[in-house]
Amino acid sequence: MPPQQNNQPLPPGFQLDRYRIERQLSLGGFSIVYLAYDEDESPVAIKEYLPNSLALRVAGNIMPTISDEHMPAFRYGMKCFFEEGRALARLNHPNVIKVLNFFRANETVYMVMQYERGRTLQEHIQKHKGELRESFIRAVFTRLLNGLREVHTHKLLHLDIKPSNIYLRNDGTPVLLDFGAARQTLSSDQPMLKPMYTPGFASPEQYRSRDRLGPWSDMYSIGASMYAALSGAAPQAADGRLERDNLVPAVKRWAGKYSDHLLETVDWCMKIEYAERPQSVFVLQRALAQKHAVSADAEAASEGWLGSLRERLRGMISK
Amino acid sequence: MRFSVYQESRIGGRKSNQDRVAHCYSRDALLVVIADGMGGHLHGEIAAQIAVEYITEAFQREGRPKLPDPLLFLSRALTNAHHAILDYALDRGLPEAPRTTCVACVVQDNVAYWAHAGDSRLYLIRQGGLLVRTRDHSRVQMLIEQGAISEAQAAVHPSRNRVFSCLGGNHSPQIDYSRKTPLKAGDIIALCTDGVWSPLANGAFISILAENPVAAAVPEILAQAGKLAGSSADNMTLIALMWEDTYVGEVSASIETQTMPIDTFTTQLEKFGKGLSPAQMAELSEVDIEDAIEEIRTAIQKYSKQDTP
Repeated sequence: MPPQQNNQPLPPGFQLDRYRIERQLSLGGFSIVYLAYDEDESPVAIKEYLPNSLALRVAGNIMPTISDEHMPAFRYGMKCFFEEGRALARLNHPNVIKVLNFFRANETVYMVMQYERGRTLQEHIQKHKGELRESFIRAVFTRLLNGLREVHTHKLLHLDIKPSNIYLRNDGTPVLLDFGAARQTLSSDQPMLKPMYTPGFASPEQYRSRDRLGPWSDMYSIGASMYAALSGAAPQAADGRLERDNLVPAVKRWAGKYSDHLLETVDWCMKIEYAERPQSVFVLQRALAQKHAVSADAEAASEGWLGSLRERLRGMISK
Repeated sequence: MRFSVYQESRIGGRKSNQDRVAHCYSRDALLVVIADGMGGHLHGEIAAQIAVEYITEAFQREGRPKLPDPLLFLSRALTNAHHAILDYALDRGLPEAPRTTCVACVVQDNVAYWAHAGDSRLYLIRQGGLLVRTRDHSRVQMLIEQGAISEAQAAVHPSRNRVFSCLGGNHSPQIDYSRKTPLKAGDIIALCTDGVWSPLANGAFISILAENPVAAAVPEILAQAGKLAGSSADNMTLIALMWEDTYVGEVSASIETQTMPIDTFTTQLEKFGKGLSPAQMAELSEVDIEDAIEEIRTAIQKYSKQDTP
């Protein structure tokens, strides 16, 4: 079988609306993300809607080819892309990726987002496999939850929280990315959006009973992301857990390495029964913030932003 | 991969259950297999057990995470299972090698492949109707195809249980293979032994599977088959699989997309439209697109002003 062809990115230097393409940042099955500069030479990230299976841009072309047969599906996917834009446009929070503009060109649509410097939590986890500090985990997730609280306040669910969708700026603050799966909670009569699952991070109800989706579903993904931060790998997928739960509770797996309190919190988020998980971001945030001060004190100052911050704080105190 | 699967085996009115069933999956590949040990022959139960164990183990060895060539795998696995049964008979000094029917199906990359020997069957049901089923290696099936007897006559034919191909036994099995069959979301694959299909009319069997979740359909079909067959019911085994193709969303690794076979195009399209009412599938007009963009831009402006009080 011939391999599926990948879409060609727009060439470097290409003038797209009022932006100049610098280079491709990432390529997904659904879109391409570019680094570009606006007329003030400020960097932006531009996401181009270009589903691999429906629209094909061959080398040397700008316009993608979309067959008549694929057009309805292409347009339907575009609706989903608009949903992501709508969701993000309403959010304005330092821990949520900021959308700056939205426009149409080349027979498709583009979303312009703030360009952040740093790396994903996924990359961070892989680099420091199994040696993330409790204080780091607590700090990152407490802040991230600030952003998620904003999302939930707008009656939105993210539904695809995972380490690769959590970006760590160079100053260490987290940003929640990729709202491609976000859905409005209040309008259950909404057309069914494309179901997206990331094995290991999606909640059980995302597989089985989508009518039970709620803030607790994002809580599961937060728990799974924390679990991944501890283990260095994605935990067992929820659909597998429903059949045979092989997930070793965090409390057992890292007993003595991290505080029971943190480990219990992770296990709490990852309960299969949605009613047994933290029911709101706030409840979870409270739990995570609770011991933060204590554990930060207990741990020796470490490398990285948190360590240097603590050292600076200590320095200030001793002065 | 996304699917639901349910298997059940009942002893019926017999003293022992010589049917064996198993399913097994890795991240990217799925195997379902059924074997019906030949009651009239020595150790039929053992033949069925060896066949299912052997094929499952081969799958676990080679399907990491997917099989390089599913049809080749099926060919080797069924043939080797046949030899494993013969070896067993030799080891034990059995006068005759035990025998079993076998049907096995592999799904990977949203494509199904199957192989069978004997009269255990595979049905592929799409949109409530039968798309394809295996042809029994039986004398009555041959007679039907020659036009000598009708389906109805076959159901009561004295040699309806005689099969001319099986694993084990003194002859090399005749194994038939399917084509590569791309699956669509909602497709149902059912494997069963003759204890199930024989008492039931095709239509009843298919409509129960098409209209119910597999976990409900399987026990219902077995109950009906058991009831129709009465006290002399044969062993009844059924495994049903509902394929629910996973939408391939934002994949970050381009390699993943590249290794995707051409067939997933179609399947992905299915998912796009799945669950949409005709109104929702109605084309997004140029005006709709402009409106949506305008709405988002307005929201961006409105909300970005808010944070600079």
